[in-house]
Amino acid sequence: MAAVEDYFAWTAQLFDPERIHEKPEALHGLRVLDLSVLYFGPATADFLGELGAEVIKVEMPGHGDVTRILGTASFLWKNVSVAFFAANHSKYHVGIDMHQAAGQELIRQLAARSDIVIENFKAGTLEEKFGIGYRQLREVNPRLVYVANTGFGQWGPFSRGRASYDGLAQAVSGLTSITGEGEVPTKIGNYLGDWFGASMAALGALAALRWRDRTGEGQFVEMAQCEGLVRAMDWTWLYAGLTGRDREKTGNGDHVFSPSGVYRCPDGYVAVVAGTDREFRALCRLIGRPALARDRRFATRAARLDKGHARELDRLIAGWCAGRTRAQVEAAARKAGVAAAPVMTAKDQLESAHLCARRTVWNYEDPMYGSMTECGPAPKLSATPARIKWAGKPVGFHNELVLKRVLGLDDARIAELYAAKAIGRWTEGRRGAAPPDTWKGEPLT
Amino acid sequence: MRPSWAEWIRAAEDPARVADKPEALDDLLVLDLSHGHYGALLTATYLAELGAEVIKVEPPGGDPAREWGPADARPQGEGLAFLAEARNRYHVTLDVTRRDGRRLLKGLAARADILIEGFAPGYLDRLGLGYRQLVPLNPRLVYVACSADGHWGPRAKGQPAEYDLIDQALSGLLHITGNPDEPPVKVGSWISAYAQAAWATVGALAAIHWRERSGRGQMVDVTGAEALMRYLEYTVLLYHASGEIRGRTGLYELAVFPYTFLRVKDGWAFIAGYTDPNFGAICRIMGRPELARDPRFDTTLERTEPANEVALRDEIQRWAIDYTADEILAKVLADPGPGVVVFGPMNPPSRTLGEAHWWERGCFKRVADAIYGDLLLHMPAWRMTRTPPRLKWPCRPAGYHDAHVLQRYFGLGPGQLAELRRKRVIRDEEIR
Repeated sequence: MAAVEDYFAWTAQLFDPERIHEKPEALHGLRVLDLSVLYFGPATADFLGELGAEVIKVEMPGHGDVTRILGTASFLWKNVSVAFFAANHSKYHVGIDMHQAAGQELIRQLAARSDIVIENFKAGTLEEKFGIGYRQLREVNPRLVYVANTGFGQWGPFSRGRASYDGLAQAVSGLTSITGEGEVPTKIGNYLGDWFGASMAALGALAALRWRDRTGEGQFVEMAQCEGLVRAMDWTWLYAGLTGRDREKTGNGDHVFSPSGVYRCPDGYVAVVAGTDREFRALCRLIGRPALARDRRFATRAARLDKGHARELDRLIAGWCAGRTRAQVEAAARKAGVAAAPVMTAKDQLESAHLCARRTVWNYEDPMYGSMTECGPAPKLSATPARIKWAGKPVGFHNELVLKRVLGLDDARIAELYAAKAIGRWTEGRRGAAPPDTWKGEPLT
Repeated sequence: MRPSWAEWIRAAEDPARVADKPEALDDLLVLDLSHGHYGALLTATYLAELGAEVIKVEPPGGDPAREWGPADARPQGEGLAFLAEARNRYHVTLDVTRRDGRRLLKGLAARADILIEGFAPGYLDRLGLGYRQLVPLNPRLVYVACSADGHWGPRAKGQPAEYDLIDQALSGLLHITGNPDEPPVKVGSWISAYAQAAWATVGALAAIHWRERSGRGQMVDVTGAEALMRYLEYTVLLYHASGEIRGRTGLYELAVFPYTFLRVKDGWAFIAGYTDPNFGAICRIMGRPELARDPRFDTTLERTEPANEVALRDEIQRWAIDYTADEILAKVLADPGPGVVVFGPMNPPSRTLGEAHWWERGCFKRVADAIYGDLLLHMPAWRMTRTPPRLKWPCRPAGYHDAHVLQRYFGLGPGQLAELRRKRVIRDEEIR
């Protein structure tokens, strides 16, 4: 039988990152029409784009997606917020005013030639305000998979008049109430409801695509941000149903694994967990207290979960970590077979040889923005690896390319659409929507 | 008369009619080899909710994840974390460390579309059951591996077991959650497993789509840390572009404001309105229209200046404390616009469960189960008009479907089953 060493040499060549761009793409040939803004919708489209779908992002001419201007001065980089890029890779950017009949007609024509439409308007908006909702678009394309992302869903008491952002989803789902310690809420640092919701929406789109591959039938898929977080709270609901009680907050402790905590080192924090008796024995040896593993307060997982016992373990582990760097703790723990890791910062991640090798830290050169470093695709596929091709572009940057290649419009018709303001690019000098000052090139035609 | 959109979509997604409709993935056979691995377990759960036939293969003693749950609620001894998510499956036992167990597993893998595992990388390979050994038996197989550091890369070899807290640390999410002058704080649920499973399923279904054209399967490798790291918006690019390390900001925000929790008369609530029109709506609802013109707050750029965020949050907090969450929500819903305020209470789970919205939409279901008794289960996350996902049955005990699956796939009858039980290749007590 093959030795372990052989296995990792074999997987290294199977996933060889140097060959990513030589390999085919899983979703090549699929077209996604992205009618969304902020993160929840655009990220859904982005995730499908990473896997090879062609994504056409439609924005309002002039200013475009609001993520283009998010943040303080330090976010503004080359005329655009750094917040814009993470959900907008390798897309074709067109500026279409959906308030105009001619703009709506362009959306209908693009949808007729697309496989998936993604939107994150409030429920019913595209149909009622613009006449291009699911019921209209499926008329022109019965094979269409239409993905609608909202806060509370397309129907039900909360679906009308209530907007949502990720933070609200954290609050109303109950996730905030089971996070952290004490009475003051802990706001989760990223827009978790948007991003988790987006990967679930992409999953739903792919399931619908599977059905279409089998039958030719399209359908409507919806993902609600709050329901995504409700779905990601493991045993919270089952526990409430059985006991009538809310689960207790445990901070960085865990209801199942003990010890579990975050500890201070001179150069930052480390997380340490020992979930099994074997790992706990190894941890006891590691911190120079092997006898603890036989102490009846700590000998079993159940005993270690007792709050007083867990606090005592926290104290001992904290003492051991306090005298060591994060790297020392991690290296010693790894050697002992104990799970421990530094609480990584962006700098740690960019300097991680492992994350760089796996292209989770993805370096590339964009013709407009130059050297880019971003978080690369999360799932690693051996035969059809996901990839980043280029960075997000100014509003309407690909108008001509898309309207000619996808819709077959000629220059005269495109000029009419510009003149009627049904299509457009960025407003000159408009922060976020316009190219960097250094850009002397032309839009792709 | 033509129904409104809300009426039409409600009927098209009617939770009461889910069982009348077909399932998107009901032609796929999935092997769930998760063993003490929540992300791998959840990957199979998502696929099972969408209709795949999932055979969960456990060691004869049962998956160690069956132990996982709070100590004060264990129906039939089962841990709630497992009971909550191990649904819609066929539960079989196989000791894959024995030759007979390996032979049967290969027989299943030869026919499976997707195999999901969460073992230490290289473990199945040492047993002769890794991807490269299964490919010759089934070139169409999509092999999904979930682990802490992945199956390749400088740190792949010798990695410890995967835990959610460690994933949250490696992803960078931990570093940006909590207050700046205090230790970082983790998300309360095992969120990395949910993220890992979402990505693993996305990868698996993309691979299945590609298989339609190529006829070939592939391997999909997913870590919980990378799964969450992809959710961190600008963290990496901000450092690349400006050298700034994104840190913890507590109830404040780097990119948008107002976007925060407030203390209200009866607890806590969340409020947001960070674009100019939406901020204007907050000021109007507060009866403080002049705040929208205050030079500290009149642009998105000014509102996200750290000192201005503090001043602005104080202003809103002074107003909010005099009202209950419901009173503020009523004001928000009554506001004619322009602009939209995002507002809602911070619910403990029991209060979420008290809201009719989620029940009408079928987010939760009470099940009277023959084995585990009354269970309150959360339902699949997606709504689909043609192939809605669904809960078919909850968790079953280890080996519950041994006889059915071994008869179906191998033609093994009661005598042969008894022999396998005697040899401890499968669970040694017959479960009815």
